[in-house]
Amino acid sequence: MQVEVRKQMSHMWRVGLLSGLVLAAAAAPAHAFIAYVSNEKSNTVSVIDTDTWTVTKTIKVGQRPRGIDFTRDGKFVMVAVGDDDTIQMIDAKTQTVVDSLPSGPDPELFAQDAAGKTLYVANENDNTVTVIDLEKRTRLGDIQVGVEPEGMTISPDGKTLINTSETTNMAHFIDTASRQIVANVLVAARPRFAEFKHDASEVWVSSEIGGTVSIIDPKKHEVVGKVSFEIPGLRKEAIQPVGIGMTRDDKTAFVALGPANRVAVVDVATRKVTKYLLVGQRVWHMAFTPDEKYLLTTNGVSNDVSVIDVAAQKVIKTIQVGELPWGIAIAP
Amino acid sequence: MIVRILAMVALALSGMSAVARAADPRYPNWPCAQAKVPEISLAAVWAGPPLDDAETRWKDDTKITALVSKLSARKTPMDEAERSVKEFLAGSAAGKAANAKLLFAGLFETLNAQRSQVMNGLERVSRKQREAADKIREDSIQLQTLQGAAPRDDARVEALSNELIWKTRIFEDRNKVVRFVCEVPTAIDQRLFALGRVIQQELE
Repeated sequence: MQVEVRKQMSHMWRVGLLSGLVLAAAAAPAHAFIAYVSNEKSNTVSVIDTDTWTVTKTIKVGQRPRGIDFTRDGKFVMVAVGDDDTIQMIDAKTQTVVDSLPSGPDPELFAQDAAGKTLYVANENDNTVTVIDLEKRTRLGDIQVGVEPEGMTISPDGKTLINTSETTNMAHFIDTASRQIVANVLVAARPRFAEFKHDASEVWVSSEIGGTVSIIDPKKHEVVGKVSFEIPGLRKEAIQPVGIGMTRDDKTAFVALGPANRVAVVDVATRKVTKYLLVGQRVWHMAFTPDEKYLLTTNGVSNDVSVIDVAAQKVIKTIQVGELPWGIAIAP
Repeated sequence: MIVRILAMVALALSGMSAVARAADPRYPNWPCAQAKVPEISLAAVWAGPPLDDAETRWKDDTKITALVSKLSARKTPMDEAERSVKEFLAGSAAGKAANAKLLFAGLFETLNAQRSQVMNGLERVSRKQREAADKIREDSIQLQTLQGAAPRDDARVEALSNELIWKTRIFEDRNKVVRFVCEVPTAIDQRLFALGRVIQQELE
């Protein structure tokens, strides 16, 4: 009898504790988001809680995970595992790999349309972009592009796909309806990443070896400007622009500068750098929290993630993750 | 047999062109996928106080030079290296800031030199590999010619086939080593940055 009572009490206590936890979670500050980081060398994905800024789980994935993003409904995380020639899907609830998507060989980066229905995958070793139906999880077809497709982005209206090729040094403009290349724009050497302004008036393309960001008018298919970087005391070769993040108001851009170990803060209107933030080593890609309070960067050589306070333009935290962190995605 | 050898040659040489394809026009002999940064800039790894004359004076302090060579050695595990930095600076009392600058100045110079050596070696090997690839290509053309000649000189065909097999094997092995050594400059960057971070934390 006594045992029974004790059991019941312990049960009540646990339930009480649980509901207390639920309340605590509800009252938690609004910035509690979940970030997923692909670790290229350790073949894992680190899960970061942006409330405590700690790694809460490390998920084993396929070989050489790089490009990573959430499905638009926030239910799955897609991660391109290049050496396994596929894209794996992680269930965001159970945080385990549950399915895969049919990409081409060596997928590196991908982009999805605004509705989250179609996924475009750059296959580094195959000179193609694979088009995937995200609802049916089937392959719709391939688009032939330049040698070694790299950067991928899609226009806000979903009509134009931009793909950069590190060998042709071009940004290829692809019409998503006809799946044909409609224009090729020459940029500086080894273009890595492309990002549209939210108002679709410009595409920014970073060039790792050229050391600049080319600004393209997507209607005229012309380079209309350039962002240059200069850091006192730093060799030019160390300035290798890769990831780009732009605030929703299109006023401020952040550019990851690789082994310069810095993120440049760029005033979008004047195309001038206003500040350089020292982060970790070989800073590669980045993602904003949905409230845009924080920007998280992956630092491939120091094996960590830097947290930037966007308003203060200051690095506030460093989080150790797996080996060679490459991409990052934050739950919508 | 000959067909198989030629296929092997083609495969080995295609591995070479994969490296050459993404080449940086500024450094044609650089064999690694990571874009070349010839030397580490101080500003990339140090946000602490200016090093001033510590950049030359660190060599005069035997305690510093001994610690620098221990910390720079790749055989010293990173956690042990970090612990040594903390212990050394904790025991420096009033001289802590000065010692921190001397130590980092020593690490910066030593690890940068180590890194340059590795990078020069990589470029030297990559140059040699290019020459070896040219030679293999020439030999395989010659082999094809010999094979089609009438009358066929079987002894020469066999000798050249064997030579080609060896050259290709050596070429492939070196390519593997190059890929492995390409990681070394990055490992050195990593060590310098991590040690610099510990030293700066101790100064705060």
